[in-house]
Amino acid sequence: MKGKKNLTFRQFMCKESTAGVVFCAPFIIGFLMFMIVPMGISFYYSFCDYNILTPAVFSGAKNYIKMFTDDEVFWQTIGVTFYFAFVSVPLRLIFALIVAMILLKTTKATGFYRAAYYLPSIIGGSVAVAVLWKRMWATDGVINTLLSAIGIETSFAWLGNTNTAIWVLIVLAVWQFGSSMLIFLSALKQIPVSLYEAATVDGANKWHQFWRVTLPLLTPNIFFNLVMQMINGFLAFTQCFIITQGKPLNSTLFYTVYMYQQSFEFYNTGYGAALAWIMLVIIGLITLLLFATKKFWVYEGGF
Amino acid sequence: MKKKIALVMACAMTVASLAGCGGGSGSTSTTAAAGGETTAAAAGGETTAAAEAPAGGGEANLVMYWWGNQVRNERTQAALDKYCELNPGVSIDGQFAEWNDYWNKLATMAAGQAIPDVLQMDYMYVDQYAKSNLLVDLKPYIDNGTLDVSEISENTIASGTVDGGVYAIAAGINAPALLYNKTLLDENGITVKDNMTMDEFFALCKEVFEKTGVKTDIAYGIANSWSEYYMRSFDIVPFGDKKMNGDETSWTPFFEMYTKGLEEGWLLPPDVFAEITVGSVEQTPMVYNSTPATQSWCEFYNSNQLAAMQNAAPEGMEIGITTWPAPDPKKSAYLKSSQFFSVGVHTKNEEEAVKVLDFMINSSDANNILLGERGVPAPADIAAEVAPQLSEIDQKVTAFINDVVTPNCSPINPPQPDGASEVYDLLNRTVEKVCYGQLDAATAAAEFFTEANKIMSSK
Repeated sequence: MKGKKNLTFRQFMCKESTAGVVFCAPFIIGFLMFMIVPMGISFYYSFCDYNILTPAVFSGAKNYIKMFTDDEVFWQTIGVTFYFAFVSVPLRLIFALIVAMILLKTTKATGFYRAAYYLPSIIGGSVAVAVLWKRMWATDGVINTLLSAIGIETSFAWLGNTNTAIWVLIVLAVWQFGSSMLIFLSALKQIPVSLYEAATVDGANKWHQFWRVTLPLLTPNIFFNLVMQMINGFLAFTQCFIITQGKPLNSTLFYTVYMYQQSFEFYNTGYGAALAWIMLVIIGLITLLLFATKKFWVYEGGF
Repeated sequence: MKKKIALVMACAMTVASLAGCGGGSGSTSTTAAAGGETTAAAAGGETTAAAEAPAGGGEANLVMYWWGNQVRNERTQAALDKYCELNPGVSIDGQFAEWNDYWNKLATMAAGQAIPDVLQMDYMYVDQYAKSNLLVDLKPYIDNGTLDVSEISENTIASGTVDGGVYAIAAGINAPALLYNKTLLDENGITVKDNMTMDEFFALCKEVFEKTGVKTDIAYGIANSWSEYYMRSFDIVPFGDKKMNGDETSWTPFFEMYTKGLEEGWLLPPDVFAEITVGSVEQTPMVYNSTPATQSWCEFYNSNQLAAMQNAAPEGMEIGITTWPAPDPKKSAYLKSSQFFSVGVHTKNEEEAVKVLDFMINSSDANNILLGERGVPAPADIAAEVAPQLSEIDQKVTAFINDVVTPNCSPINPPQPDGASEVYDLLNRTVEKVCYGQLDAATAAAEFFTEANKIMSSK
């Protein structure tokens, strides 16, 4: 035991735990420098009057008080963001599951289709697709042209109407179902065939099999996808920023975009930081809530 | 296998990090090449080049940052290349953005202690940036002769002066201008007169709409200077010291303009603007949209943007220029030394940056390339020199400034204080609500005034 304390340098370097720390170091350093330190600074700024151009001045909880008592737009963006997250995420998961079920059967073309359906997720968050999306839903865009091709003559301004503009963003989000789909796909493959055989013997048809066998065994994956996608849903930024800028009438103004506006357009950076911290609390609470419901619907036994 | 993967990853990372530095080193090498060509071409002038190089400050890498449009981006880059050509060893990285992004990015640059060496400044922000100690006071350079302002009028210099220091030099003089689709109006026998009153303007909008179906865009989403221009007719300077001037009813006529347009049908509906980038010359409804229901016959821009607007217009559309309408045109109209050049305080080579600025303002070399795209050049001798070479369009602009606006205008409002950008956003959102029929003019005016006051008092 004593010998352990008197390691030579060479021995120390050869120890497994040292190697572990060394290999983790890039991540740890990056995490500290680009996550923890900026977070600490932003926490401090959230209690300051800070206009980005001049040094921050401590002002107590003023930003937080203003947010809850004196900022109509704040509540509006909360509403929009919740609506977006709670509509787009379940829709996306349902869509991902359906496509995963279809692609489960292996044929020669399966590989191609899997890649093709995954593609939107890779490019979906990008600026280029957002720009494309904006053009597609324009009054003289592809969507209206297609509609008139099937006989519905319209010059409806999808992006200009307070009821439909948010749906343009939701459809874009649903379209990016690829990563959830892949997770579902691998989970589906792991469900033992014997369970289906047993179900067939018991007289269950395909429909029953889905509800009684497939879905319960998928719940851990559904749970995982739900948590991850919910977080992403609340943090959505690009779509709104590029496509709608919150228009019309703030009906599509996401929380994160409002935060950006306050921080960098109105130069209320302290207030922006406070907004960021409230978002952190909200996401934390939602995640906690999801975990609390876990024991009621997630099946965690073996196969 | 694992080793191979590690090797590939290492290579990829090296390449990526090299690519990250690419911007800087790339521009340096192109500059060096350009410099080499000059020396080769002017073989006899080798001695002068050698003599100039040390005087030029030797090696320097500068960044110049501006907002603008296609025409400006090309001309400015060409002028910067010219400077590098004349000053071997200096390289300038030109960067540009659209108006809105420009200010967001500039603020983050400032917070990161990396404000560009030479930057374009606006009247609306100069006060705020100068007071935050982000701009270099150019006065010492004026005094020691590095920066020549002898040909620039005192008024123009004053507009870039904050608390006795000169922080910005006007890049050009312009005036608010109503740019309109002259072809369309000529075809339908409609004439536009300068210095229209609001009633004349409304009648015109109505006439255009009835004859052609083309509607009107009244500075939708960009009502910033338009609102100030309009309020000047009522002797109201919107921004006071931590408050708004006027009262809850002062803004009623401003919002009534939009409700009137909606009632009579000639105002472009707000949903049209959800599909374009508001504030971008290239995407204004006048030149970007193609059906009468989504088109406007006029746009509220500035005189110096005529060239860019004409450039963005479809073939066969001639763009005309006149003054913005106002309840009292003479009270409202002003000349503006709009765009400025400033030197950022974080520059490593202040002297060289000032020289670039001087080059852009005072040299024939630069201005023969820029050709007054930022407005009529501020130095009188340069303005005179550039005038005959101007394209037909820019001559139209100069004539507009000299003959139409100058005899019929009053001094500009003081620069907008901190908080103005938030108030303008509120204004544009209020206009949006009015256009969507959610507010009537009187309620909008009262709501806007109360909210704006709240914003200003918290600054």
